[in-house]
Amino acid sequence: MTLVEIEALRVQKEGAVICNVPSLAINAGEMVAIMGDNGSGKTTLLRVLASIERDYRGKCVIATDPRDVVFVHQSPYLFRGTVLLNVTYGLRVRGLRRSECQRKGLEWLERCGAAKLANKTAAHLSGGERKRIALARALAIEPKLILLDEPLEEVDDAGIATICKVLGETAVDATVILTSPVALPSSLVARRVELFDQRRIST
Amino acid sequence: MDYLVEGLADAIRAMVGRDPVIRVAAWRSVWISSLAVLIASVSGLPVGCWLARAKFPGRRYLVLMFRAGMAFPTVFVGIVCFGLFARRGPLGPLELLYTPWAIVLGEFVLAFPIVVSLTQGAVYALDPRVSETAITLGAGPLQRWITYVSEARTGVTLAILAAFSRCVSELGIAMMVGGNIKGRTRTLATATAMETGKGEFAQGLAMGLILLTIALVVMTLIGSLNKEDKL
Repeated sequence: MTLVEIEALRVQKEGAVICNVPSLAINAGEMVAIMGDNGSGKTTLLRVLASIERDYRGKCVIATDPRDVVFVHQSPYLFRGTVLLNVTYGLRVRGLRRSECQRKGLEWLERCGAAKLANKTAAHLSGGERKRIALARALAIEPKLILLDEPLEEVDDAGIATICKVLGETAVDATVILTSPVALPSSLVARRVELFDQRRIST
Repeated sequence: MDYLVEGLADAIRAMVGRDPVIRVAAWRSVWISSLAVLIASVSGLPVGCWLARAKFPGRRYLVLMFRAGMAFPTVFVGIVCFGLFARRGPLGPLELLYTPWAIVLGEFVLAFPIVVSLTQGAVYALDPRVSETAITLGAGPLQRWITYVSEARTGVTLAILAAFSRCVSELGIAMMVGGNIKGRTRTLATATAMETGKGEFAQGLAMGLILLTIALVVMTLIGSLNKEDKL
């Protein structure tokens, strides 16, 4: 089943084309890496898929409820308060009971190797820790489409191993699209999509 | 110089001695200003958030209008409210003039633009990732607004504090629409002006000091609610 279908997608800002994708189809359950140099439009493509960037031309169809799509920024924003409060945000806005939010939040923190950070203040975390917390927060809502902007940047080797493991397990039920300027471990992604400087895409 | 020292000593005696006139005026000042700021906060926070996030023609002018409203002279607000509440005015039948409720409404007019403008500024300055993160995690419009206020809570707290400070220390509105009636509408600010006018310098100074103490206590209390903000 095709979850994402893009045709002639073009995003322009201040007269310049910042993203150009002639054609792309991604099936449910796939893990796809969008590769490319800085400025090739990787983040813009994810923002379009996340419905954050709406000013585009072309066709972009996502065959799922928008609330089942989650986007994690390259430099994630953590809300004020504790790590657990952050991880449970998506669950709380979905109206889950407090005890259920706590249970799920701790479970996802554990899976992302960040259980010991649960009661820490989010503002005091390192870049790599923030990435893990943002990933746990995104995965906690059990989305169908997960969009990750350079999720392995700033993460140490142990963190990369943990994130790869979690994403590998998640990709069974969900579709994962992630970006990276460098080659990702072949064990993590089955398919790569290249975005070139001239804003062309090839698969 | 001596009269200043003597005045201060008398002021402290009056405060320690719990002068009932001062106590009643102090309590009235607190509840009137608190109620006005509460109404201004409940109505002003959503308006401030909306002005910070919505995009529509004329938004900039509306923001400028509210900012200009922060500098309303209290006497001007008092005169306008007097015109509205006077027997011949449009709100005359409500018979609000020379009641504490008239002062509450007048102070609300004073506090509302402060809450709106400072909230708008605080929410507008938020990192754009706040709204993007909230949206992508499934927050609805109301939940997003709650998130904005929560993330901008240092600025929002300052907005409420600034509004309270302005209300509790204002004189023009309380005098114009309250009338400084003993036992009914006399507030600390009007009592201070009256006592000083009568030559009761110590009494006036005592009331001024109490006003300052109230402002400090309220600032500390509201500030302590925001545990993350360490000065």
